[in-house]
Amino acid sequence: AALSRRYVLCEVVSEDPRCRQCIEDRAVGLAVRDAIGRVHGDYGLACCSISFTVKYLNAYTGTVLLRCRKDSYRLLCSALPFVRQLESRNQRHPCFLNTLHVGGTVRTCQKFLIQYNRRQLLTLLQNCTNEEERRCVQKSLLSCSLTEEQSQSGDEEDDDGTE
Amino acid sequence: MAGFADLNLPQGPDKKSLQSLLESAAHLGYSAVALNHVIDFKEKKQGTSKRIKVLTRLTLVVSDPSHCNLLRSTSANIRLYDIIAVFPKTEKLFHIACTTLDVDLVCINVTEKLPFYFRRPPVNMAIDRGIYFELLYTPAIKDSTMRRYTISNAISLMQICKGKNIVISSAAERPLELRGPYDVANLGLLFGLSESEAKAAVSTNCRATMLHGETRKSACGVVYTVKKPRKVEEEETTLPACKKAKTQA
Repeated sequence: AALSRRYVLCEVVSEDPRCRQCIEDRAVGLAVRDAIGRVHGDYGLACCSISFTVKYLNAYTGTVLLRCRKDSYRLLCSALPFVRQLESRNQRHPCFLNTLHVGGTVRTCQKFLIQYNRRQLLTLLQNCTNEEERRCVQKSLLSCSLTEEQSQSGDEEDDDGTE
Repeated sequence: MAGFADLNLPQGPDKKSLQSLLESAAHLGYSAVALNHVIDFKEKKQGTSKRIKVLTRLTLVVSDPSHCNLLRSTSANIRLYDIIAVFPKTEKLFHIACTTLDVDLVCINVTEKLPFYFRRPPVNMAIDRGIYFELLYTPAIKDSTMRRYTISNAISLMQICKGKNIVISSAAERPLELRGPYDVANLGLLFGLSESEAKAAVSTNCRATMLHGETRKSACGVVYTVKKPRKVEEEETTLPACKKAKTQA
């Protein structure tokens, strides 16, 4: 396909639980663009800006899905470790991004995210301290699966990407 | 594939910060870390419950040939560490470290311009001896001047060693300075490594360093027995390979 894209799935890791409030499209997009500019300069920033967007965001789990052109995903991925803080509403919270998966379509990232969350829930299950928590977590575990009726904006993604 | 390892976590002042650092590393997916003690001798600290292997490591910062005497003698202190690293400050010491010293890692300075150029003979000898060169990435993340020094020092090393025998580790003092294994492999791309070399720098090369440390501790080397495929007729009469060697000698 002519318009190949790459989707980078990351999670925001921080020590301060208030950092989660900062997780919004604009703040994350700015932080990533700033990191690319610092590391790769004007050229890198210009290349990565084509088709760059924050596609999906979950403030509770800290999951972020970024999209960029296939030609510039290496510039993006190599700049992600340099994100050190998120800034929004005049608040700065130190954090970093952990890259989980790079895929060619939203669907592959979605499948990965489901497996990843399931593993996280399993770890959470091991650390449950009381029976009530245990039951809640077990219920969530048994119900996670990729349902076919979920439709993301899948119209652009007809390339499969070799990952 | 070998698990991911971060071979340089500085030993912080208190146990709590160390605990949070180890938990962060385990969450990011590292299967082994090495706690770094710089020169002083300290006891082993306990690991966390998240199934992460904790090793101990000693780094000697040498700026004078007499400092190396500690490594030459087979003192009991040295044998307690799983990994030994040396940080040479001059060209002569770099040469000595690569060719004669009994270490697992040679640290490459990333915080200032290298006072000497790398030359091919000692680097090749180090590669033959199974010694790995260590690059730190946390200074690069913290400061832009350090970033430039790190990248230029790393690239000049790559030109000589062709990307072989490189280990990238963190020297992270706080959990926020750690980065996940795939991100560290991407940093390797910035340092001039190819994609496979960068991935190896976080996984297989680290495992090789840990094994090198183990062989150094056991003093002689690694002996592994391989089962030879035996022919059908000889099955009852063939002795196991080790016994056979003895009788033939």
